[in-house]
Amino acid sequence: MVLVLALGDLHIPHRAPDLPAKFKSMLVPGKIQHIICTGNLSIKVSLFLSNSIEVHDYLKTLCPDLHITRGEYDEDTRYPETKTLTIGQFKLGLCHGHQVIPWGDLDSLAMLQRQLDVDILVTGHTHQFTAYKHEGGVVINPGSATGAYSSITYDVNPSFVLMDIDGLRVVVYVYELIDGEVKVDKIDFKKTASIHTAH
Amino acid sequence: MPPALMNPLMPPPPPPSVSVSAPPELEGSDDVSGRSVTQKRRFGDLRGLQWRVDLGVLPSESSTSIDDLRRVTADCRRRYANLRRRLLVEPHIPKDGSNSPDLTMDNPLSQNPDSTWSRFFRNAELERMVDQDLSRLYPEHGNYFQTPGCQGILRRILLLWCLRHPECGYRQGMHELLAPLLYVLQVDVERLSEVRKLYEDIFTDKFDGLLYQENDLSYSFDFRKSQDLLEDEIGSHGNAKVKSLDELDPALQTIVLLSDAYGAEGELGIVLSEKFMEHDAYCMFDALMSGVRGSVAMADFFSSFPVAGSQTGLPPVIEASTALYHLLCLVDSSLYSHLLDLGVEPQYFSLRWLRVLFGREFSLDNLLIIWDEIFASDNSKVEKSVDDNIDWGLRILHSPRGAFIAAMAVAMLLHLRSSLLATENPTTCLQRLLNFPENINIKKLLEKAKSLQARALSVDISSPSPLIIGYHLQSKSVMTRSQTLPSETVSPKTPVNLLTDSYWEEKWRVAHEAEELKQDGIEQQIPTRKKGWTEKVKHTLRRAGSDPPPSRIKNGKKESKVVRRNILEALHKALGPEEEAEQMDCHEILCKQENISEAAEGVQQNDNSKGDNSYSSDDRCPSGNTGIEESSSVYSDSTSPPNEANYHEITSQGSSVASNLYLDECDETADTSLSDPPLPVSDHPESIPETSESTDVDVDKSENIPQMSGCNNNDPGNSATHPKEKKQNKFQWFWKFGRNTVEGISGKVGAASEPTKSTSSCSNQSNSQPPVSSTTSEHFTSVSSKGDSVDQNVMGTLKNIGQSMLDHIQVIESVFQQDRNQGVSVENLSKNILVGKGQVTAMAALKELRKISNILSEM
Repeated sequence: MVLVLALGDLHIPHRAPDLPAKFKSMLVPGKIQHIICTGNLSIKVSLFLSNSIEVHDYLKTLCPDLHITRGEYDEDTRYPETKTLTIGQFKLGLCHGHQVIPWGDLDSLAMLQRQLDVDILVTGHTHQFTAYKHEGGVVINPGSATGAYSSITYDVNPSFVLMDIDGLRVVVYVYELIDGEVKVDKIDFKKTASIHTAH
Repeated sequence: MPPALMNPLMPPPPPPSVSVSAPPELEGSDDVSGRSVTQKRRFGDLRGLQWRVDLGVLPSESSTSIDDLRRVTADCRRRYANLRRRLLVEPHIPKDGSNSPDLTMDNPLSQNPDSTWSRFFRNAELERMVDQDLSRLYPEHGNYFQTPGCQGILRRILLLWCLRHPECGYRQGMHELLAPLLYVLQVDVERLSEVRKLYEDIFTDKFDGLLYQENDLSYSFDFRKSQDLLEDEIGSHGNAKVKSLDELDPALQTIVLLSDAYGAEGELGIVLSEKFMEHDAYCMFDALMSGVRGSVAMADFFSSFPVAGSQTGLPPVIEASTALYHLLCLVDSSLYSHLLDLGVEPQYFSLRWLRVLFGREFSLDNLLIIWDEIFASDNSKVEKSVDDNIDWGLRILHSPRGAFIAAMAVAMLLHLRSSLLATENPTTCLQRLLNFPENINIKKLLEKAKSLQARALSVDISSPSPLIIGYHLQSKSVMTRSQTLPSETVSPKTPVNLLTDSYWEEKWRVAHEAEELKQDGIEQQIPTRKKGWTEKVKHTLRRAGSDPPPSRIKNGKKESKVVRRNILEALHKALGPEEEAEQMDCHEILCKQENISEAAEGVQQNDNSKGDNSYSSDDRCPSGNTGIEESSSVYSDSTSPPNEANYHEITSQGSSVASNLYLDECDETADTSLSDPPLPVSDHPESIPETSESTDVDVDKSENIPQMSGCNNNDPGNSATHPKEKKQNKFQWFWKFGRNTVEGISGKVGAASEPTKSTSSCSNQSNSQPPVSSTTSEHFTSVSSKGDSVDQNVMGTLKNIGQSMLDHIQVIESVFQQDRNQGVSVENLSKNILVGKGQVTAMAALKELRKISNILSEM
């Protein structure tokens, strides 16, 4: 059993001051094995009172295994445009998504999914949580963890995604902050053996 | 994972030496234990079964039928199965079910401690901890204990037990208590299959018509294995063909009956079952840890808090260690005192011995024999003839089993006796204790332990265990002494023998009082002290020939505090012009005096409770100056709660360091201070509480006062140059002030008033106008910065100073008067002459003081 945290589009401090306090209290070290971040973290922020540390460093405190792709506002050139990793029996693909046009379009994303040859594709940029089961895989957009506005809409609920990968099964927990309350949703996805062998 | 899966992984008969030789070994130990126990040992050759009976998992009455045993066994297993279902959570499984739980509560990031996920995370955390230890369990028997099957069983049992007893949690060592239990069960099962091999006919023939193998899957493996061997077995033994059950010897009969899958409770009731080893091991472990119905509960040994109802207020394992030394003291006092001299406290080694029941000191084979004996001893509490109010506090000695454990430890100590006595420092001593030799005669050791057990049980009733606590504390103070007095050239030890039993009894009572005080809590503590103070004042007054001013009694504690504070202030002001030589001189005395004032309190308490102080002076006189130091630290240890004792240790160390410093600086004065007759100093604490009673002692006081005045006066002076030290000293000061009773106060006030005189030339003015010089103000601020809230209303308090000064002067004068009138006793005559000069100066000083206080109170 592996827990994978997926989040992105934080835009700290330009569009949001910080992660919502409710999220922060939930995200504690020791539970999560991997973090995948779609990008647009932005730079230095004060997450711990006076201590100014980068979002990157904050995420590292939750879990040392951190994977980040580059968003259009990220200045750090170390982050790649796309990234793939294998967790358990699943292959995960990571991309910010501003490169995929039209933004958030399922067909375009499915193309990327095939391109990267992954079971689960995680993208961002639209700041809206979406999850599609598509062609035996999953396409997930965790939304913006801070609820930052996007170039599409101002009405954004903060949200992130936690994936519980266990064998051939993945349970996607969606955490969304609506009117100050954390709403949790769950999506079950089972990978069929045929797809596994098809690779 | 069902244990059946373990089977193929299991090495063929684990370490053969044990599985085969187990029964004979047991016979041997039976010989040792004497036949008295054998009657109880119903299942002598099945150790696992016997332990289950001994530990209280199975009924121990010999009348219990096999069916009853099977029923109890089945119940235990059902309980465990329930527990396992309930406590071992797998977060995914309920998710599959249609009844989808509340997602806001049941998600991986849930903060709710009751959610399946947080339980899961907690378990995972615990499992990691357990695994860390399990992976290192008995590496020498790795072929059994390190198999995944065995590790899984051990892990689950520990996990479940810890979850079941969250107050205890997992502690290192628990796994080593559990492992042998599982091991003996395994040995039993091996034996069963051996028997089965030999008498296959009976096992199968009994249920004619029924195909045994097909009905009982758990044994199919054994049979397949034995089929091949059967020919050889029968060939070699020849007598393997036994036609009916009745022809077997009773022991084997029992085995057959116990493993009959068609008896009571069916398969679940098979007492010796490989399938349910995990269940059985849990039940045994639980019984061992919780002690079921007796006084020795191993779980207590892992807790760092005193058990409810414990009289000593010590954690159980420390208490047990104390009991161990207690027993050692009774058995072999020379070894005991040697260990004490080295400062080797029992818990240094017994923690390890007791927590895993000697599991680390002996090989597994020997350990099983020892545990046979331990478990064979009854764990139920022995009824004491004494009434319940007097609980000796050492719970471990309350049951035969506990007594045996203690006896075993003492037997081990005695085994090492000669090599321990040869050690000269605690390190080598501990080295020998912690590396117990492996090639020992286990029988002899057990024999010795047996005899000691009887001793421990009988002795415990007849003699009070407080003895040991006194020793225990004393051993602490021995170390303290060596630290506090590095400047002392001679430090003779007070011989232990010199102290009578009554002395320790007394100390126990004092310690007990302190214990009670501590429990009362802070709020209640103050009134109690106050009360004690007034009582003591009255006590003193009753004995006093002259009447001290009644205002003193009314003053109460509050005012005296204010007075003290003010005096301190005055001291700070006065210190500027003092000579360094004097400073150093006094500073050294200060550290003595601090200890002494402690002693004074102790003495006073003893006085109150016993009304005769002869033993304390007995204790002091021969040992001289150091003796006082020692005894005073003993007292401070015994009278004050541990924290304070520690604190005292630290501070006194600090001050002695300071005195060393000054010794280096100024040898001359050091000499003078050392050349001061030690006795007057030592008498001082006594003299104060008994001012009126023993006049001879009072004479010495006159000499002490100038000394102490210097000291008090200069302490702040020193601290000006050494701010850090000052802090320590001052802290002690205040602390002392806060807790000392009247004798301490009067002594200090008397002493403190002196400096005002000696520096009257300048301090007189500075008292009336506080911030007169830069040094004064500096000290003033330093005092306030320390958080000892300095009273702002200086003038008002000055008045108070004057008042109290007057009072104290009156007291001192009256004493002197009395002294004059009554004359001096013969033995102190010479001393009196010696100190005569001091007395005169003291009188002069008193007059001066009087003037000052008059002025002050007028203001």
